Amino acid sequence: MINHIKKEIKKHAFDYLLLFTCGVFFLLALNLFRGERLLEFIVLLIFVSFYIVWGVYHHIITNNFHFKIVLEYVMIGFILLFLLKIIILP
Amino acid sequence: MKFFGLKNFFHHLFIPKEENNFRSKLLHLDFLSFYLLLALIFTFLFKTTPLYNILGYATDITIQKLYELTNKEREKYNLPPLNYNEKLSLAAYQKALDMFNKNYWAHFGPNGETPWQFILNAGYEYEYAGENLAKNFLFSENVIAAWMDSKTHRENILRKDYTDIGFAVVNGTLNGEPTTLVVQMFGRPSSINLSKKLTETQQVFASEKKETNKKTIASSTPQVLAKKEKNRAVAATKFLFNFNLGFIGLLMLTLILDFYFAAKMGVLKLRLTGKNFAHFIFLGFIVIGLFIISRGAIL
Repeated sequence: MINHIKKEIKKHAFDYLLLFTCGVFFLLALNLFRGERLLEFIVLLIFVSFYIVWGVYHHIITNNFHFKIVLEYVMIGFILLFLLKIIILP
Repeated sequence: MKFFGLKNFFHHLFIPKEENNFRSKLLHLDFLSFYLLLALIFTFLFKTTPLYNILGYATDITIQKLYELTNKEREKYNLPPLNYNEKLSLAAYQKALDMFNKNYWAHFGPNGETPWQFILNAGYEYEYAGENLAKNFLFSENVIAAWMDSKTHRENILRKDYTDIGFAVVNGTLNGEPTTLVVQMFGRPSSINLSKKLTETQQVFASEKKETNKKTIASSTPQVLAKKEKNRAVAATKFLFNFNLGFIGLLMLTLILDFYFAAKMGVLKLRLTGKNFAHFIFLGFIVIGLFIISRGAIL
């Protein structure tokens, strides 16, 4: 399993670096806007949107782009968006 | 026989095999649609439920807990516990209402209102006084931890000069956002006020004692009801937070199991699915984000 992950990271180093960097920025932004519920929600929305776009982009360049895959990224993104929304903006 | 049935069921949910098209059933699109529907129902359910509309917002903060935790922190530094003071709590409540009404989040109001004004207006004549503010925290523990992490707030909590404390936890709308404000007021009554208070107390004590029984009977029912409703709200917040954590944990575990067995079977490249590793990173950031969100801002 670890070997597969290593191979995947090596093969798509830029993609994963981009995802990781945006994740770090997401956490920094959340920390910066702590207590500002609307801004926290906007930051979350941007990160979820970025993740969906990242998924589409990643699968386009790896030549296995399919509607089912896009749907998977959209669903995972929106499930978490709605679940966290209950806490951020009740 | 039953055991094997259950084992197969869990295999079907978590482990990729031919029957589930080499993808854990919990990660199939139909299951993801079900989670999305569940998340949507939760969103609307908690928006329309009386737990939020009547009792406020998603918060687990209680005055009792804040009071206990504050004194616990003082105990750690061998300081005497602070006495809960109704007048300081009234001042804290008035301060929170003022912030909501005038739409500000600061120690001093837009028209030059000071915290000391609220304390004096509540009838508490002080020799020393202080104020700590917090907003949009989910749990009482986080409020006290954030104050203790800040030098000036910690100094307030651990100041030897204070003898009394009051709290207010008020929900409202600040800058158009649903907000939970926590106001903590500290004080030490002025010595002149103290001697006056002593004589007043002695005089009032006798007459109050006679009416105590009547008051207790009259007020006991609503107090119990309020306590029950408050507990329901607190339980709902904890439930939501833990549910989110549990759900994300389950998804992460399924992603790991799915990836591990798919790699072992050599079917990773044959499947038409998203990248488990990418989903895992995304969920990891969301979990850390959830903990950051549970901590609000202090002032």
